Amino acid sequence: MTATVSINALSHWFGDFQALSDVSLNIDAGEYVTLLGPSGCGKTTLLSVLGGFIAPTRGDVIIGGRDMTRVPPAQRPTTTMFQDYALFPHMSLRDNVGFGLRMAGRKRKERHRRAGEMLELVGLGDAQTARPHELSGGQRQRVALARALAVRPDVLLLDEPLGALDLKLRRAMQDELKDIQRQVGTTFVHVTHDQEEAMAIADRIVVMNAGRIEDEGTPARIYRAPASLFSADFMGEMNHIPARLSGGQALTPFGDIPADGPEGSRVVVCVRPEALSTTDGPLSTGPSILRDVAFFGTHIRVHLEPEAAPGRILTAHLPPDTKVSQGDTLSLSADLAAVIMFPVEE
Amino acid sequence: MRLVPWLYLGAAFVFIYLPVAALVLFSFQESNLPVPPFQGPSLRWYADILGDDDVMQALAHSLMVAAGSSAVACVLGFFAAYGLARHVLPGSAFLRGLLIAPLTVSYLIVGLGLLIVIQRAGLGLSLMTAGVGHVVINLPLCFAIIYASMGAQQQNAERAARDLGADEFRVITLVTVPMLAPAIAAAFFLSVTLSWDEFIISFLLTRFDVTLPVEIWSMLRSGLSPRLNAIGSIVFLVSVTAVLILEILVFRKRRP
Repeated sequence: MTATVSINALSHWFGDFQALSDVSLNIDAGEYVTLLGPSGCGKTTLLSVLGGFIAPTRGDVIIGGRDMTRVPPAQRPTTTMFQDYALFPHMSLRDNVGFGLRMAGRKRKERHRRAGEMLELVGLGDAQTARPHELSGGQRQRVALARALAVRPDVLLLDEPLGALDLKLRRAMQDELKDIQRQVGTTFVHVTHDQEEAMAIADRIVVMNAGRIEDEGTPARIYRAPASLFSADFMGEMNHIPARLSGGQALTPFGDIPADGPEGSRVVVCVRPEALSTTDGPLSTGPSILRDVAFFGTHIRVHLEPEAAPGRILTAHLPPDTKVSQGDTLSLSADLAAVIMFPVEE
Repeated sequence: MRLVPWLYLGAAFVFIYLPVAALVLFSFQESNLPVPPFQGPSLRWYADILGDDDVMQALAHSLMVAAGSSAVACVLGFFAAYGLARHVLPGSAFLRGLLIAPLTVSYLIVGLGLLIVIQRAGLGLSLMTAGVGHVVINLPLCFAIIYASMGAQQQNAERAARDLGADEFRVITLVTVPMLAPAIAAAFFLSVTLSWDEFIISFLLTRFDVTLPVEIWSMLRSGLSPRLNAIGSIVFLVSVTAVLILEILVFRKRRP
């Protein structure tokens, strides 16, 4: 029903291209983990290795304490929910969902009962004899989920499962996926490039870039205190302020901030748009001209050009009831707790 | 005016179908010659050929050869397509070319080649050897049709089936073949119509038991007769039936 997954020093090459380099990751039983990253970062390759569709060049995969590195997909305690659903178009929903049980040699009666239960779980209990082509995208999605869960896998692998759905449906399915995961208790490993989706459902996010793990942790931790500049940028919009270290301080055009590091080295000071506000703080933009203002419902998004650093545009999210308009002069500040800093590799 | 295109269309259809219409019309001729004026209609010649054992036997042979050779061509074509679509082989583009190349070779050359090989090998000519000839000409077609319809959709469904515990045999029988059924049926019925009409290879590779086109050819040597029109009409009817089955099987699936 559920199992731990442990990935040790995994590397994989496609010809000359290294898709995974020395990836190690431990996943708890019953955990909901998302692999997050841009296309080509290796997240789908990692999922394919977990599912048994790719045999890694180096390293191993342990699922539930057993070495699964070279075990074919059919004999693994994993099932995959594919990006394009991959339903069997010539079978009814009941036969689609019951397919795994049929392969396991279960009797027809038991298959039908279990398939009925699973379709009930995903809200399609009364469409058992329908064919996949009669369904909408969201419904096919649910059938694919029911089919993958019907065999009671220890680990469910989800390959960008919500990619083809429109935004509203995607948000609804995210809640549903998380809810179903809690009910069945199976370990879920979910690949996505949408950081909002990752934050909405994951217990833990693993940020990947260029075949490596950049960062891993709870959504809040990764958003607020990312381990790398890449992960900071990927999790959401970020203002970059270049600075130089001197006498235990990072010298920025907007004030000096305490910092550790070699004297004279360069750093990037990062501030999220929503951390900038009109209340006073140690990091202050000083008088700045609002270049544009846009109302977003939950906030007002502004671009401002500080007089202290002409040509540098900062983005800020102000409360929705703030009265500002284009051309106004405003001074915004951030608290030190909201400021993060990364060394610049030279 | 929209009249000219319609006239053109009408003329084109008359050009295509007039010979067939004339053939079918004069199969109902009362007198001994299939030439105007038309006298009848009469089923006299149909009764005549239905009572002719040679003709009926040739018709049965033709159906056997068509069905058998098409089935073999489909099975071989399916496996060739499956192998080439699912596995990366060295020189697979060359193998594909080699499989399709016989389409460009004239039936006469294929027939002569097979005749030489069969006689060198000391095998006797029979319906079986004609069937082998038909497999040779239909295999490239079956391969091309089935290979063209093997897309990413089947491949993903096969992957899902393996993921759910299916072995290769069950992947093919429960997922691949049912999903490709329209293409396989299209390949089969197209092969049937081609084999059913085929003359040169059948002529070269049969001896005592002959197929219907060969039988018609030998009857032609004794001159025109409405009997030939009646046989021709039946040949035409069988071809049309095969094409209709093909249309229904393939296009019914397309419509949701």
